[in-house]
Amino acid sequence: MARATRSGTRVDTVVLAACLFASLLARVLPADTRQAVAGPIRETFVEPLIRLQVNAERARGAFLTRDITAARLDSLVLRNAELREMALENERLRSLLGLGARLRTGFIAAEALHRPEFGDAHTVIVTAGARAGVVERSAVVAPEGLIGYVVSVEEETSVALLWTHQDFGVSATSANGRVFGIIKPHLGPDVERFLLELRGVAFRDSLSAGTEIRSSGMGSVFPRGIPIGIVVRDITSPGSYSRSYLVRPNVMPADVSVVMVLLPSSGNVENAWRSPSADSLRRAVGAAGDSLARAARLDSLRDTVRRDTVPPVRRDTVPPARRDTVIDGAARHIP
Amino acid sequence: MTALRFLKGIGVFTLLVALHFLIRPLIATRVSIDFLVIAVLLASVHVRPGVAAIIGFLTGLIADSLTPLSLGAGALAMSAVASGASWLKAVVFGDNVVAQGIFLGAGKLAFDIIYLVIEGRLAMSDLLVQLLLWSPLSALVTGLTGVLVVFTFRISMESRP
Repeated sequence: MARATRSGTRVDTVVLAACLFASLLARVLPADTRQAVAGPIRETFVEPLIRLQVNAERARGAFLTRDITAARLDSLVLRNAELREMALENERLRSLLGLGARLRTGFIAAEALHRPEFGDAHTVIVTAGARAGVVERSAVVAPEGLIGYVVSVEEETSVALLWTHQDFGVSATSANGRVFGIIKPHLGPDVERFLLELRGVAFRDSLSAGTEIRSSGMGSVFPRGIPIGIVVRDITSPGSYSRSYLVRPNVMPADVSVVMVLLPSSGNVENAWRSPSADSLRRAVGAAGDSLARAARLDSLRDTVRRDTVPPVRRDTVPPARRDTVIDGAARHIP
Repeated sequence: MTALRFLKGIGVFTLLVALHFLIRPLIATRVSIDFLVIAVLLASVHVRPGVAAIIGFLTGLIADSLTPLSLGAGALAMSAVASGASWLKAVVFGDNVVAQGIFLGAGKLAFDIIYLVIEGRLAMSDLLVQLLLWSPLSALVTGLTGVLVVFTFRISMESRP
């Protein structure tokens, strides 16, 4: 009996040791192998659980936005008379502003699943996989800009590495295409951990705060023109051979729940992020303002000239003349 | 009777695993109920330490599959906690509500400590905040929820075959 107990205990110890060894082995495996192990598990046993999580996150989103939705509904009811107009305007704005509409083809919309607690905070599971056409190293973007890229693809899901990961990098350029560098995550303390760095900028080039940074299209992963962030300040360290800038990202991955995976067939996406609304409207308003001012100046100039060239006459000394018989000599002096 | 208890155990375990993926995203706070730890600990006290280690390993692997970069950390932590719980439960206490709550909470805390250390992702300051603030709070709610689960499903914590 005692021998059986001892034997059982020994078996338990061996099994525990085997489990711990297998876990440690999984821990030290190369990243590719880890993905190869995790992928099939995720696609088979965990797939129903992922679906549960997706539904739970949708429910949470609906719960959080219920007040806003109710307010919108009330507004819509109140403006029922303008509904058609609003719908048309909405459609027009969507067609103007919608990234999907601008990209037209070559992208897949999917949901990004985060882990709400500690753990692997630098990857998300994207609910689109090989079946939808996702391939490894596809860029993952949001309407505001760059999020990351796909590192592993399964049949129904894929894993995307976020820009917060220390291995992330993207060749970048200023919006005017004059200054180039490499965007890497800023590994600073606390809040600064969620900023980016533009490294390797030539010393002859300098960027001012507020300059927009976009992907340069070099390196074959990210197409040219995807917005990345805005320059905050110069953080070049003394003695370095190139300039570095702190960049505020356009997108915080934690805030993103719906993403777009750009396929290799997406081609040129540069114009997709050139919003026609803000800049062109500002220019148009400015131009309209300028022409109004020009017209006002011209009118006042004409008045001045008319006053200076036409001698003042007494109304009662000039005989009333018919409009069609008087040559408008005074008017000819007016430029 | 034994087969019925076994089926009930499987059902409760499956339900807790499902709740883990259903409730936590709904709450989405740093203080979260770890239903996986509750499921593994409740299963562990009814099986041998070796079987508990396997249950912990497989459950941890399922959780790890969602975070491939930390694959193995959850499996290791869950194996160790499950096996330890199975050994500990056999010698320490019986059906006592407070003891059950402490048992489940301590299990969660131990899981967090092992997981975070093995994962090695957090900086020292973040690790301390996690271990001294968020993990104890999570352990507290996990312990309370675990006791609730035990009472709801009338799970015996006293004996194992």
